[in-house]
Amino acid sequence: MVSKDDKANWSPPKPHLEVGSAPEGVNAKRVQGRRLTGPQQGFGQLWQKTYKVAISQKTPEQVIATWKAEYGRFWPSHSKFYAPVTGIQPGEVGLIKSTSGPVPLSTGVLVLYSDDVSFCYMTPEGHPFAGFITFSSHVEDPVGTMAQVQLLIRANDPAYEAGMMLFGSKAEDRMWEHTLRSLADYLGSSSPVDTKVVRVDQKRIWKNFNNLKYNGALPWARRSKGPATPPR
Amino acid sequence: MPGTKFTASVRKEASGSIIDLGGDIDRSAGVDLAAAYDDATGSGNGTDPVVLNFSQVDYINSTGIAVIVTLLAKARAEGRPLRAYGLSPHYEEIFQITRLSDFMSIHHNEPEALALT
Repeated sequence: MVSKDDKANWSPPKPHLEVGSAPEGVNAKRVQGRRLTGPQQGFGQLWQKTYKVAISQKTPEQVIATWKAEYGRFWPSHSKFYAPVTGIQPGEVGLIKSTSGPVPLSTGVLVLYSDDVSFCYMTPEGHPFAGFITFSSHVEDPVGTMAQVQLLIRANDPAYEAGMMLFGSKAEDRMWEHTLRSLADYLGSSSPVDTKVVRVDQKRIWKNFNNLKYNGALPWARRSKGPATPPR
Repeated sequence: MPGTKFTASVRKEASGSIIDLGGDIDRSAGVDLAAAYDDATGSGNGTDPVVLNFSQVDYINSTGIAVIVTLLAKARAEGRPLRAYGLSPHYEEIFQITRLSDFMSIHHNEPEALALT
């Protein structure tokens, strides 16, 4: 296998996430020491959600450079992203505080991958979903440059799966549609955001039921100092 | 950096199917890889393994990992083992970071990948 030299684009191995100094008012306990969760480590149905918008005035490189530099600016007001001090770089951890759901949420993501035309987050234990969020920009004929967010996710545990079915999935759609709308506005495009949702796997992974113990939104987990055990 | 066109061709062996992959695996590989998987699993035993041969793959980015995860989910939903060989040490490490290797066994060569039962 002759691989191009892309090692610098990927995060180094991270058996457990390490959060440096957290910004004031941000709870990093739900991220510190947690393991990463890919889609197969989650519980719920597997969804691929793709949101994209045309930004034909810019090149893909310009779109991604702006997106990385101003990432938190494009989020809705109920959620805040605390980018790593060094910016969106592979191996860095970003923290998230959100009040969009019924319970305030503190979580984070690892920057898994980053290059000139894309970057990708991977979620830790305790995050509402397990999987990857990939941000990219590419050229589509005949439209031109597109900005895209693609999620490949399962709800991390049964509680989040129920929440996703009741309100979380729609809230997720609104969040990323808002993000792309804001990015497009910032870069001078008024094109509409296109959303495509595909259920990749309808089966739930019941052996991951106990991911509940990492769910910081549940009372027994919220009170605990570290990973907790749900009541039996 | 100009990309190398993704290719996927299927070989069927007595104990499973091999998909020989080549070029770059990124978002554009999804359709061809899914078609190759359908070809590999179309007429065989429902539990025969599918082995992905990465030895001619030049490059995998994060969108390519998502393409492979999607294939893995499909295989697991069917109860079919998905295995891999030919990964460089770098991409083997990426499969570990992304935890793909928790669900897709990684082998040194084709006989080893096919021999596992």
